Amino acid sequence: MQEPKFALQMTDITKRFPGVLANDRISLDCKKGEVLGLLGENGAGKTTLMNVLYGMHQPDSGKILINEKEVEITSPSKAIELGIGMVHQHFKLVETLTVLENIVLGIPSNKVFLDLEPIRRRLLELCQEYELYVDPDAEVWKLPVGQQQWVEILKALYRNAQVLVLDEPTAVLTPSESDQLCRAIRRLTSEGRSIIFISHKLREVVEITDRVTIIRDGKLVGTIPTPEATQAKLAHMMVGRPVSIDRRPRQALQQKKPVLVMKDVNALDERGIQALKNFNLTVHAGEIVGVAGVDGNGQKELAECISGLKKPVSGTISVNDTLITDVVADPKFIGFIPEDRQKTGLVMDFSVAENLIIKEYDKEPYAEKRLLNLQNIKKHAQDMIKKYGIKTPTDTVKVSTLSGGNQQKVIIARELDSEPILDIACHPTRGLDMGAVSGVHDVLMKERERGAAVLFVSAELQEILALSDRIIVLFRGEIMGEVDGDTADAFTIGQLMLGQALEEKT
Amino acid sequence: MKTEKKANITTIPFLGDIILSGSRTLIGIALGLLTSGILIALSNANPLVAYGAMIKGAFGDIYAFCNVLVRVSPLLLGGMGVAIGNKAGIWNTGIEGYMYLGAIGSGLVAIQDWGLPSALHILLAVIAGMAFAAAWGLIPGYLRAHRGVNEVTCTIMLNYVAIYLTNWLVSDAGFFAESGAFFPMSKIFQDSAQLPILLRGTSLHPGVFVGIIVCLIFFFLLKYTPFGFRTRMLGGNPNAARYSGVDIKKQIILVMVLGAMLGGLGGAIEVIGLRHRVYSDFVTGVGYECIAVALLAGGNPVGVIFAGFFFAILKVGGATMSIETGVSSSMTSIIMALCVLFVIGVGLTDNHRVKKKSNKADAVAVVKQKEE
Amino acid sequence: MSYDIIISWLQATLRWSAPLLLVAVGEIFSERSGIINMGIEGIMLCGALCGIAASFYSESILVAVLATIVLGAVMGLAVAYLTVSRRTNQVVTGLMVNMLATGATNLLFAMMSETRSTRVGTFPIIFPQAMQRIPILGEIFFCQPISTWIAFILPFIAAVVLYKTKWGLNVRAVGDHPQAVATAGLSVIKIKYQAVICSGIFAALGGCVLTLGEVGYFASGGMTGGRGFIVMAAVVVGGWDPLRTAIACIIFGAADAAQLRLQGMGSVIPYQFLQMLPYLITVVALTGMVKSSHVPKTWGAAYDPDSH
Repeated sequence: MQEPKFALQMTDITKRFPGVLANDRISLDCKKGEVLGLLGENGAGKTTLMNVLYGMHQPDSGKILINEKEVEITSPSKAIELGIGMVHQHFKLVETLTVLENIVLGIPSNKVFLDLEPIRRRLLELCQEYELYVDPDAEVWKLPVGQQQWVEILKALYRNAQVLVLDEPTAVLTPSESDQLCRAIRRLTSEGRSIIFISHKLREVVEITDRVTIIRDGKLVGTIPTPEATQAKLAHMMVGRPVSIDRRPRQALQQKKPVLVMKDVNALDERGIQALKNFNLTVHAGEIVGVAGVDGNGQKELAECISGLKKPVSGTISVNDTLITDVVADPKFIGFIPEDRQKTGLVMDFSVAENLIIKEYDKEPYAEKRLLNLQNIKKHAQDMIKKYGIKTPTDTVKVSTLSGGNQQKVIIARELDSEPILDIACHPTRGLDMGAVSGVHDVLMKERERGAAVLFVSAELQEILALSDRIIVLFRGEIMGEVDGDTADAFTIGQLMLGQALEEKT
Repeated sequence: MKTEKKANITTIPFLGDIILSGSRTLIGIALGLLTSGILIALSNANPLVAYGAMIKGAFGDIYAFCNVLVRVSPLLLGGMGVAIGNKAGIWNTGIEGYMYLGAIGSGLVAIQDWGLPSALHILLAVIAGMAFAAAWGLIPGYLRAHRGVNEVTCTIMLNYVAIYLTNWLVSDAGFFAESGAFFPMSKIFQDSAQLPILLRGTSLHPGVFVGIIVCLIFFFLLKYTPFGFRTRMLGGNPNAARYSGVDIKKQIILVMVLGAMLGGLGGAIEVIGLRHRVYSDFVTGVGYECIAVALLAGGNPVGVIFAGFFFAILKVGGATMSIETGVSSSMTSIIMALCVLFVIGVGLTDNHRVKKKSNKADAVAVVKQKEE
Repeated sequence: MSYDIIISWLQATLRWSAPLLLVAVGEIFSERSGIINMGIEGIMLCGALCGIAASFYSESILVAVLATIVLGAVMGLAVAYLTVSRRTNQVVTGLMVNMLATGATNLLFAMMSETRSTRVGTFPIIFPQAMQRIPILGEIFFCQPISTWIAFILPFIAAVVLYKTKWGLNVRAVGDHPQAVATAGLSVIKIKYQAVICSGIFAALGGCVLTLGEVGYFASGGMTGGRGFIVMAAVVVGGWDPLRTAIACIIFGAADAAQLRLQGMGSVIPYQFLQMLPYLITVVALTGMVKSSHVPKTWGAAYDPDSH
């Protein structure tokens, strides 16, 4: 009997969610003892594909074969049974329990009582074997993040995972820890296990993987053996060649008047890991600075710091020489379009009119002498609806009934109509249809013309290239590089996004 | 198709939302009444006759209706107290305690023989009651705003403290308690500190009108003032509220204290209007009924009026029902509880559906956000 | 004088704490899984009546206990359905269950007028007369009915179950990070249901012990007198740990027993202040406790299976 060559084969996997085709006939395979890199931008379809593999979603069509035998993975427990282990980017660890307890959680057994001794022994064996050391009795919340990562991996190894999916495993690791991980991976593959390595860090992908599969927009772009993959080729495959960049025509900047100045800013994310490192940035009046990069490299924290929702550990942020914290809610200074409309930008139960004034409800002309002037509020709403083309039956309907695009228009109307000197737009076109997207781009260009300083964070490379005067690429909380908007191309930016510094220009 | 229908209803300004959420509430109430009817039938009584007796008991004659008006007074005030908290996203379950404190405060003033004109004496008593209750509400308010302490557990604990405090005051505190009484009670209130009876032969006091006016005042406050706007924003989306510069801590304390004052007012009116003494355990359960009222009202001040009357009718009618059909008046609590349980049980089906019907493009956003 | 009073007080403490301990054990499991079962006051009341009624009609304490367990399980199931599957607000659900229970027990008790005048058998004292007559220890410990002893052993069993069994681990995990449990292949919903039903069973048993443990009768209108809420307070003060909560229950039981005695004695401290004590202690404990890692992280929150 011949030993199966492929540990995992996913053939023509298609998964549709309402309104979006997340996976469009994607095929990939992974041989035994192989490390397969999985590369793709945000929204490309990687996470959905892996969730299908792990039994969290059922594919609409397509087959999955484990050891060349077709299987149906109906739930995570089935996936675990089949030898699939998943190490998520955001840890699925119960922090108040000990390492041992986390490892044993969910392991089927007939015993009523926890017998931790054999688990402890096996765990220590695994620690030794792969040189990933953790204290079995430590409570997880006390462990440093790197060790928490080991616990996640050991969890999968304890269940004898033959196919191990690692989702951005080095995101929280120090360089030496990353090396440790590398060695562990080598040992795993020498045993015949297979690893699917999801990462956007080019250097690692090139070092660790045997083959690389690239996904873009829900489709498979291709799979190439790593020795044949140059950084250029990978970057190219990942971001693709935009059919037409549709660069917006613009007048060159006359003078450079700094508006937003960020100096040596250091900030932590919610896990306490450094998200922004010695960050320096200046945005001038009348320019659009596009911030590109794979999600999770500090964009969220950047926006939070500038909008005053987070306090940086050190460094200063100022707008027109005034500290940002003093002017945040002042509509004349900052207009902020948040990443998550529904969570931060709008009060879903409020009407359109009410959402338009949440920053100024207690000032004239919307309020006089402790009373709301409903007439003025209504008039303002009607003006805004007309001016920004917000499609809504009346100004009094709840904003939750509006489409995403129109909800965004409400936010834009509210934030930008007061002509602030600094605009911060975070993923402003996320979830919008083509017409709405174009509308938002128009607005941003108009803001530029008006002389506002615009900071534009987006995961869509197309629009960054179309609109920005300057483009900076965030990688691990630092600016990997800066390119001029007029001469930039997707390919260069793609490289930067993958952590590859540009060659020095002579 | 279903989604379009929904969009159409909600586009009717103002009424649209009330109709939508109101229909959910009505369905819940209907289910509650139906189930209670089945229970009544099981106990060998005819549910239709029973409910009929209830209606007769509440509306049969002017005296019956006055009973309803008397019973509804604390429900309106306490219910509004809970409702204003709900609008800000907090559960002010301490109404029971606030009523006791309001009674104590007003009682302390009402028993004094200062020779004041009636209007002034009553006013002072009411103010004292509200002040005591406000102080009582400050505790959980401060703890929630500044220390993040769960206000539900805190207020329920304080309810019991209030009960025992009242108990002590009307049993053993010489300056307050009636000595030698067969039942713990305070000294009798001075004549000048008793609310006038509006209709001879009944116990109707102005409490119900105060309650209705208060609800209308809050309706006005919530809709027409920046304070109301701020409160609703806090309850609707605390993140957005923080972003727009609302002082969240101050708002939480303010809303809790206001709710407490309303509860205190309810308790004060109950004692100076109805009983003219503070009795031990006189509130018993009304505080929790107020929570039910606020829930049925959906936090809406006008809804509080309707829900309050609904419960008062049940309570007053329940006595007649018990006399005429033999169904115990305890059935009233059962009916009230079942109605609320069905309303909250039914309500969430809708939330579920609303969530799933996400807009096409928003679904893209959701999927994209999950990809990292 | 005071010698006898202290002994009788200690004996009463153990007896009064027994129902609290039972209810607490169940509630700990429920809250650890993330669901606050505020209806335990009402379920306790129903259990109290059920115990009396079943004991009266069947003349067997065993049947009474079994009936109470079934009742508690059913009520727990109802609460679980509402709070877990329907994701209703746990506070309101619990409070309304209490209201329902108050009405239902009053109603049913009124119909059971025959039971009113008879005292039914209570839980037996299992120790021989000789042991009961031992000075001090005999009175305090060996005059206790079997229900008290079971109630006191239970927290130890609960601690073992919570910390040393698979199911206990699952409950703790579900309350702190349900997504992690789902990823590990377990059913979060099933575990929550089990925990809440458990709290229903023990709340009902607590009520049964209240009536059958000593008094042997049921009086309408507040038989449980807020004990359910005292238990919730004890769970908070005890940091959701069975043994510490048991200590809190005993302290609260002691205060309860003390205030009863003080009522007749005319002491300097009004007995009502002793009654207040458990609740005041809880408020203080709540204030100090917020930053601690003891609170189950998803305490009171609804579980959304679609979110990972």
